[in-house]
Parts: sequence; structure tokens; C-alpha cells
Amino acid sequence: MNRAITAMLACATLLAGCATPTSYEAMVPSSVDTARRHAQSVGISVTGGQETDAAGKPQISDDAFRQALTEAINRSRTFSRVVQGSGGDYVLTVALFGLDQPSFGFAFTVKMETGWTLRRASGGAPVWQESIRSEFTATTSDAFAAVTRLRMATEGAARVNIAQGLAKISRLNL
Amino acid sequence: MWKSIALGVFASGALQLSSGCAVNRATATVTPGANVGAARSYYVVKVPADQRGIQDLIRDGLARRGFSARVGVDPAPPPGVDAVVTYVDRWMWDITMYMVELTITFRNPSSNFPLASGNSFHTSLTRKSPEEMVDEVLGNIFDKARETK
Repeated sequence: MNRAITAMLACATLLAGCATPTSYEAMVPSSVDTARRHAQSVGISVTGGQETDAAGKPQISDDAFRQALTEAINRSRTFSRVVQGSGGDYVLTVALFGLDQPSFGFAFTVKMETGWTLRRASGGAPVWQESIRSEFTATTSDAFAAVTRLRMATEGAARVNIAQGLAKISRLNL
Repeated sequence: MWKSIALGVFASGALQLSSGCAVNRATATVTPGANVGAARSYYVVKVPADQRGIQDLIRDGLARRGFSARVGVDPAPPPGVDAVVTYVDRWMWDITMYMVELTITFRNPSSNFPLASGNSFHTSLTRKSPEEMVDEVLGNIFDKARETK
């Protein structure tokens, strides 16, 4: 009996684990529904991200989201290239709002909202501005450990978000 | 055998509940270029399922800061509103129910685009009352808006 209790306590401790930060590689969409590829270049700015606290839930940092977005643009060719800093034709700003993460359950559905704004680098009013909402569900078949499952759901929500945002941008007449 | 399993499950649950992690997070984000300070009139959209009156706490919090604020259930704001306020509250049980997380978002009334958002997350050991949570989130949003002005 004591052995069974010990084993269960050990399992619980292992499964509780610590939150690990989301990785940018896992947030890059495998494909983007690109209507047209813009010949212009773009600079990227991301705000509103959070660093992950080991005792909390996995978060998305500005840097991780920016890297994932850069990689997604490069792969989908939504813009001809991504420039670092100033010097691009357009500036794409993404503000991360409302990451809605569950605390319990077998299937974890994470919802997120981001505010996308595209401006000409020369200034002026936004060329396009839209709130993008996305969600992704990770189940026990994806990962048995809850912290891993939550991280995967969070990365999935970001992946879908980036794919939706770039698909909308590709439909713009720039 | 079943007794052992039940005891094990109970012990596991107790371990999880008593791990004593105190997680505190209080952040705010303002969309670059958004002039949050210019908004004087707010419309708080009540979450239909909310029976705890969080919408009224937000309205009162805005009124205490000198803004005009009203509450409604219709997501479409009435005319003359400068910003729409939406919120998501999460609750947990630990001896009693408490608000573990609150997110408040200010939105453009015509496009619904987020202008600013604040989030506070406090686990049981450092729990705050709903009034304190609302005050903290609103305070952080306006502080951030002043910083980014």
C-alpha cells in the first residue's frame, strides 16, 4: 500500500513539473494561405509578450513571437524580406493581448488575441489594422504531462494566429 | 487495493494543492500609437454568465478615476462612447473561491481593436479581493498608457 502511495506521489510531482517557455520554432505555421506575395520589405515590432515564470504558466515572449513571425514571413514570402530595425517599406506591429489558458482538464484549449497593425515606414495612418483571435487544443495524446500540454496548446494558438494574420495581409493591395 | 488507490489519489491531490506556489503577475500592454488617455467615456460590456458583478466593479473603478462609465450587455456600444471595456475573470477554489486572474481590455468602439489591456494573476497565497484585482489592473493600464504617451 505504501509503495502505491509513494508511486502516485512521485507521478504527481513529475506531472506537476515546471512551466517551460514557448519556443519560437513551434509557433511557426507549417503553411500560410497566401493569396499574394508582396514585393515590399517589412520591419517587425512585437509588444505585450511575457517571460515565463517556472512556477506559473508558459508565456510567449516578444522575442519568441517576433522570431516565429519573421520565420513565417520568410517561408511564406508574404513580404520579400524582413528587415531588422528601420529601413523597410512597411512596419508590422503585433501587440499580444489576452492569452487565455486553462488550469485543469485533459484537453487544454488556449485562446489568444493579438492586435495587428501595418503601417508604411514613412508614417501616416495604418494601412491595415485588425484584431486576430485564435485558439488551439492540445490533448493527452499530444502530451501526458499537463505543463507540456499547456505549452503545446499555447504554441499552437500562436501558430494559428500568425497563419491567420499573414493570410489576411497577403490579401491586401499594397 | 482500491483503498490504496483512493488514498494515493487523495495524497496526490493534497500535494498539488499544498505545493504553496505563490505566483504573482501584473502587466499591462498599450497598442503603440493608441491614445488611451484621450478616452473619457467608457462602456463596460457585461459577460452574460457573470453573476459576480465584475462589470460594476470595473465601472466604479473607472468612475473613481474621473471617467464617465456605464455598463451594458449589448456588445455594440451606445453612441458617444470613446472606449469599450471587455474583461475575462478566472476563479479558483482553495478553501474559498477567489479570483485568480483578471484581464481587462479597452477597445476601439468602432473597430473593436484592442487599445490597451491589463492582466493580473495572483494565486491563493497572495490572493486579492475582486475590488483589489480590478483596481490593480486598471491602475496598471493607465500607468502604462502614461509611460507610452
